[in-house]
Amino acid sequence: MCRQKTVSLHTDSCCHSRCLGAAIKKSKETKNMATLDVDRPMSAEEKKVIFASSLGTVFEWYDFYLYGSLAAIIAKQFFSGLDEGSAFIFALLAFAAGFIVRPFGAIFFGRLGDMIGRKYTFLVTILIMGLSTFIVGILPNYASIGVAAPVILICLRLLQGLALGGEYGGAATYVAEHAPHDKRGAYTSWIQTTATLGLFLSLMVILGTRTAIGEAAFAEWGWRVPFIVSIALLAVSVYIRLSMNESPAFQKMKAEGKTSKAPLTESFGQWKNLKVVILALIGLTAGQAVVWYSGQFYALFFLTQALKVDGATANILVAVSLLIGTPFFIVFGSLSDKIGRKPIIMLGCLLAVLTYFPVFEALTKAANPDLYAAQQKNKVVVTADAAECSFQFNPTGTVKFTSSCDIAKQVLASSSVSYENAVGAAGTPATIKIGEVEIASYSSKGLPADEAKAKAAEFRKSVADALKEAGYPAKADPAKVDQVKITIILTYLVILVTMVYGPIAAMLVEMFPTRIRYTSMSLPYHIGNGWFGGLLPTTAFAIVAQTGNMYNGLWYPIIIAGMTFVIGMIFVKETKDVDIYADD
Amino acid sequence: MLKIFVGFVIFAALAMFVIFKGGNSLDMGGEKHGDEAIHAPAEAASGAASGASADASAAK
Repeated sequence: MCRQKTVSLHTDSCCHSRCLGAAIKKSKETKNMATLDVDRPMSAEEKKVIFASSLGTVFEWYDFYLYGSLAAIIAKQFFSGLDEGSAFIFALLAFAAGFIVRPFGAIFFGRLGDMIGRKYTFLVTILIMGLSTFIVGILPNYASIGVAAPVILICLRLLQGLALGGEYGGAATYVAEHAPHDKRGAYTSWIQTTATLGLFLSLMVILGTRTAIGEAAFAEWGWRVPFIVSIALLAVSVYIRLSMNESPAFQKMKAEGKTSKAPLTESFGQWKNLKVVILALIGLTAGQAVVWYSGQFYALFFLTQALKVDGATANILVAVSLLIGTPFFIVFGSLSDKIGRKPIIMLGCLLAVLTYFPVFEALTKAANPDLYAAQQKNKVVVTADAAECSFQFNPTGTVKFTSSCDIAKQVLASSSVSYENAVGAAGTPATIKIGEVEIASYSSKGLPADEAKAKAAEFRKSVADALKEAGYPAKADPAKVDQVKITIILTYLVILVTMVYGPIAAMLVEMFPTRIRYTSMSLPYHIGNGWFGGLLPTTAFAIVAQTGNMYNGLWYPIIIAGMTFVIGMIFVKETKDVDIYADD
Repeated sequence: MLKIFVGFVIFAALAMFVIFKGGNSLDMGGEKHGDEAIHAPAEAASGAASGASADASAAK
């Protein structure tokens, strides 16, 4: 039995220390045998490893998305009583929870994972995530305990970000170190499906609760139920993960006394490894992240905000395309075991670069043909003093753009109007010319809040009336929304996501040696996805407002994916045949 | 594999049922950062992103 198991390095699954000893002795022999391990069906132990790792990661995404899906209700419960100054600070902290803490979690838990083991580390991450989520469910709101409520909530949110940063690298490393040499792509691709499944699971629990108790009760107290439910999910995940054994590669390394004493120094303090980390970031994960965010989140944003498709229809179409696309994570993960990781990921990036503009234009024609026609027919010009126009990059949402130029551009960009920019006289307020109608913009700087709101409403109405006159639709006409065509386009975008995301875990794992694998692969993954991906919506909007073309926001993912394609093609080596134990 | 396929089909059917039923009130926009995680929008529009909130910021 031992002999049979060592074929694929599954020392843990059979005779533990007895097999482990044998495996250490015969490590070289074992590696050679692993490479011969072709077309063997997945063993029960391997299925359990993949299931346990993926299930835990699904729940982790569930916890993370829950907060996003219920953001409006949570804001009312915890932040509505804050003054403007405090709200500003909390907004920065909420931004930090998503963007800064995740990479920090990657470093913190990556280091632990390389020192004490993968199993215990990703047990800790899931415990932190699950408990934080549960506590949100029982946390008194602002009305009950005042400012302590948002303070505790933000602390819990920061903990969630920290845990998420440590989870993915652990799961990917754990599965990859259990997988046969020639099936790492297929095995790790299951983890890649978890973000989508976690999102759907959170939506199912939310709607199930809402339906069961009614809208009013849900807004008042029922929103807590999905958070409290996470304790049951946590119990299941912990139970399953506790029954798992440590990764065989880590056990072997530990038995030989070869674990890293300083994973951070080894990972980032030595150029030999640091350059691989940098390459993993700019030559892989940055491009992967923008393709993922464009295909899933920006496409939804574009449909609802730019093309004015109603939210229900957009949700359904995006959900259908995600569900059709999800099996392709496995398809491309498995394919990467045959033809390599790099060709698939690079092709995904290249297709994104080459096709985003025509694909999003096709989306406009399919979703809102009236808008497309109006854009072709009518010329809109913003004339403004260039000194008054900002690049409206606002990732925290806390900056207020108050000049007449910025306000004019915000209103047009959010109305999906493409416009030309003309230089106006210095010191004069900006104007918008729609056909023959010219509308003067205004500056809201120094205006009392009420007056600013009234002015904004008046200005928006004037612009909306002129746009309507020029043929711009306020909403997409449901009768003209071509749902089949939109679904095909969205599915194409999701398939690009699966091309870049399906094989990425295996590739990242294979780029680094066992002793520093968890640390080294987690950081580029979370900087890539947290920063390059997370900044996509706000960067895209700033580019649209700046240039006056609703498609120009696509330059951000195109440039990043293009950078990844070029750097990846030149500098990143194929890893499919790499012996991940060679440097152990 | 068949079990996984059947499980996925059931999961997909459930997810679609939920999304059909949830309609406009579901937010599939994913993570929320910064100001959008703090201020409740006037209407719980789906897919709200930072960019959209920039428009509102001028009126504050």
